[in-house]
Amino acid sequence: MDTTKQLKEEIKIKEKDFKFVQLDEKIYDEKFEGEAIGFFKDAMLRFKKNRAAIVSGWIIAFIVFMAIFGPMMNEYTYREQHLEWAFLPPRVPGLEKLGIFDGTKEIRVRKENIEEKYGDALIKVVEEYNVKHQGRDVAMAVIKVDAYKLNEAEDVYFWLGTDSIGRDQWTRLWRGSRVSLFIGVMAVIINMFIGVVYGSVSGYYGGWIDMVLQRITEVLGGIPSLVLIMLFIMYMGAGIIPFILAMVLTGWIGMSRMIRAQFYKYKGQEYVLASRTMGAKDRSLIFRHILPNAIGPIITQATLAVPGFIFTESMLSYLGLGLGAPEPSIGVLLAEGQKVLLNHPHLTLFPAMVISILMLAFNLFGNGLRDAFDPTLRGQE
Amino acid sequence: MLRYIGQRLAAMAITLFLIISISFFVLHAMPGSIVGDDPMIPQEVRKAIEAKYHLDKPLPVQYGYFLKDFLSFEFGTSLKVQPRVPVFNIIAEKLPITLQLNIFSLILTVPLGITFGIIAALKKNTRIDHTISTLTIFFISVPSFVFAAVMQYYMAFKWDLVPILLSTEPTLTWTKFKSMILPILSLSFSGIAGITRYMRAELCDALNSEYMLLAKTKGLSQVQATVKHAIRNSFIPLANIIVPMFLGILGGSMVVENIFSIPGTGSLMVRSINALDHPLSIAVLFFYSLIGLISILLVDLSYGIIDPRIRIGGRK
Amino acid sequence: MENREKVLQIKDLYITFNTFSGKVHAVRGVNFDLHKGETLAIVGESGSGKSVTNKTIMGILAKNANIEKGEILYNGKDLTKFNDKEFTKIRGSEISMIFQDPMSSLDPVMKIGKQITEAMLVKGNITKEEAKKKAIKLMGAVGIPHPEKRYEQYPFQFSGGMRQRIVIAIALACDPDILICDEPTTALDVTIQAQILDLIKEIQKERQISVIFITHDLGVVANMADRVAVMYAGKIVETGTVDEIFYDPKHPYTWSLLASMPDLDTDATDELLVIPGTPPNMLYPPKGDAFAPRNRYAMEIDFKEEPPMFRVSDTHYAATWLLHPSAPKIDMPDALKIRIEKQQERQVLQNETN
Repeated sequence: MDTTKQLKEEIKIKEKDFKFVQLDEKIYDEKFEGEAIGFFKDAMLRFKKNRAAIVSGWIIAFIVFMAIFGPMMNEYTYREQHLEWAFLPPRVPGLEKLGIFDGTKEIRVRKENIEEKYGDALIKVVEEYNVKHQGRDVAMAVIKVDAYKLNEAEDVYFWLGTDSIGRDQWTRLWRGSRVSLFIGVMAVIINMFIGVVYGSVSGYYGGWIDMVLQRITEVLGGIPSLVLIMLFIMYMGAGIIPFILAMVLTGWIGMSRMIRAQFYKYKGQEYVLASRTMGAKDRSLIFRHILPNAIGPIITQATLAVPGFIFTESMLSYLGLGLGAPEPSIGVLLAEGQKVLLNHPHLTLFPAMVISILMLAFNLFGNGLRDAFDPTLRGQE
Repeated sequence: MLRYIGQRLAAMAITLFLIISISFFVLHAMPGSIVGDDPMIPQEVRKAIEAKYHLDKPLPVQYGYFLKDFLSFEFGTSLKVQPRVPVFNIIAEKLPITLQLNIFSLILTVPLGITFGIIAALKKNTRIDHTISTLTIFFISVPSFVFAAVMQYYMAFKWDLVPILLSTEPTLTWTKFKSMILPILSLSFSGIAGITRYMRAELCDALNSEYMLLAKTKGLSQVQATVKHAIRNSFIPLANIIVPMFLGILGGSMVVENIFSIPGTGSLMVRSINALDHPLSIAVLFFYSLIGLISILLVDLSYGIIDPRIRIGGRK
Repeated sequence: MENREKVLQIKDLYITFNTFSGKVHAVRGVNFDLHKGETLAIVGESGSGKSVTNKTIMGILAKNANIEKGEILYNGKDLTKFNDKEFTKIRGSEISMIFQDPMSSLDPVMKIGKQITEAMLVKGNITKEEAKKKAIKLMGAVGIPHPEKRYEQYPFQFSGGMRQRIVIAIALACDPDILICDEPTTALDVTIQAQILDLIKEIQKERQISVIFITHDLGVVANMADRVAVMYAGKIVETGTVDEIFYDPKHPYTWSLLASMPDLDTDATDELLVIPGTPPNMLYPPKGDAFAPRNRYAMEIDFKEEPPMFRVSDTHYAATWLLHPSAPKIDMPDALKIRIEKQQERQVLQNETN
């Protein structure tokens, strides 16, 4: 090849370079540079890069904090009624000067009544118009009034307003969040426990045990879960414990399927066979060798299940199967707010915001965990 | 194939049997659910009612009657919501309204979800994909009744674009349809988002598959290979998600019906629960399960037709 | 060999991949020619760039790949300049490819027959009936029993070996001139492997097509190839005829490869040679000879300058400074020498008995 000649001329070759440098040395595999990173540390590093998930984590932490301490932040309790102060709009000291949360609301009234009924409380007339009523023109007006002044509550502050019987919405909102979160998290924990045990037994032992257990989950899973939950609550009566139990009825099936799949994936692998031949007991195989592989998916699936249960809880409340008064939950608050949505939207707005943000945060957080634990799935969301 | 259908039918029968049994149990455990505790009911009347509902017979016999009644759609009469009207008639009147709503929602959900999913997958990691994915997670997270409330307040009440409640017109007119827009939309968002997410994931997998590579190396263009192989394949697992989604829409419609005063089975359910009209509630739930089971069966069967691995191989 | 027509010429092909951690230099200046009707085997360990090179020829590189320089000449046209549309025209009908895993390379929900005829029909000039006839004939040719019946079946009704035969039929459907086989037998049972290899050989002879055979299995190479190119770290380090590579290897990497391969005389007491160390990280391609850190015979110059291709014979070239006139004379390791001698003896014996 003529390239050889060319190269020879180009490169100045020194004769002394032609001697062996490692002929008698033993060549080892190169050591990996840097420290070995453990699975969880690695996952953490990846998780930290996911900004949406980190923010979601902080939001969840904030809502949990508020759910615990929020109800203690003012002097009202979740069941204390002030019938004379019903449907007060939100009013927060300080913020009221900015024109928001200032305890005012717009209402439609007959023009002739303005002076007499609203007097001092009137702030301004927004709009005037006429409507025909029984053949006569009636002068109407949209006016902005200070609802607190109107109800002789000038020195009172309900941060998020009050409901139909004058209960403080702030306290009820956070207490409701507490109840909803508690139901969601407890249901997930119990489901996780049952699912892991069931799935492990099914997956580890296989054979006819697996067959029987699989048929059972198949039949249970065939029943629309909402129907089962509703029947159960109708039977048990509403309450925090019945809610949790109802969600456990079929909620564990998903977890058990995942665990079973993990067992099928790992139990045939060489390292498991190796420890089995060395006499490892079932228990150590399950808990030391197989289950730890599933920790990532378990945590992910559990996180992603929480919003589902919170959603189901609020849906049941909407349907009239909710917790009995006076205990609030986000669903109960939403259902109460829905009845007066058009006139008092603030009663719907805040619980709707909390549940939406909470569900969004849990989903994003869960997705972040999944991507961190299983980088191959990244980008599928 | 026949064996497959047989298996599916058997599974459905077992589930149905289970639902009826649970219903029986619940109905019986509920104090006064059938006769009521009302002391004003005279002894003879009470006896007569008990005889009519076989309440004087031992439990297994009662169960037998119950099973027979349910399977022949004899649910007795409503106690409080529409007293003395057969439950079946009440449901038969309300069910079409609910189904109409749900079917409209499905018609909107499936094609839109698939389209967005395909777009996102084909434009993977571009700005379009990121936008779709962000919206997807938003619409999956926010509950349908929150959308319903927000839209009702703004679109109907504040801006007066559409009616606040469902129009009471009996036939499907323009006004009626207009008043159905909000309920349909609020039912559809999460479904669209769910299908989009699933479709995107499936299609991304299919696009990266070896058979796509082979299709290209044997001389198909990217478009031909995508349409003939990737999209075709990614459709198949879609049925997996459409069933639960349909059930979800059904469940969601209970709430949404209530918000928009739609006189369907959902609001019937709420009224019967609140009035403690248990025979009615349970019959409605039974119908929900029936619809659910039938849709699962339909999907399973259509799987059998689409997927040759089941049609010929008989396994899934 | 030299006077044979060159169907494909790869000149100084350099390919990088953009990854999260940086630019990976997967192929660093590869040169080879493919002659008409020959089988060229490209051997190397995973990550040596053999698959990437061939994916470039097919125009199916991943989106994050860049062709930095070099050309691939086919019929006087440079394939590196082709867009997807132009590639679509030559894929299948001029260059075709068989993949490693027959289990996943067939569309699971499309009938076998349709998968074979699909490309023929897209390319045009053929009616459906003709395509079906041709497909059934092709299925028979690749050794599928009852092709008429099998034509209507789906991939899941075929075994792994049968599927690979179908993949071969698909690859041949539009009568390509060049067939690239990317480790076509790795995923198959050993007995099936031999059948598939025989099939490829047979087809290659019958149709006079040129085959590029990618593998890490030297046993397969000896059986299949006319010429061999050994790749290491994105470069071809040695190329020659099968005999030259197996009986007279010059590059220390080839030595190690051959010595690490078990043969008939290897028994349980023998220790196979292990190549120490790991291939270089292609994010930071090494200076000098990439194999030097793992090479017992590395010289100082190996760490400084990249060796050029030294000519051993008209067909045999190797990129190692050991072939430089100034280099100390060194022969291949004794163990390998003994093995090769035994091998040659066996070859002679075999020829005599035949």
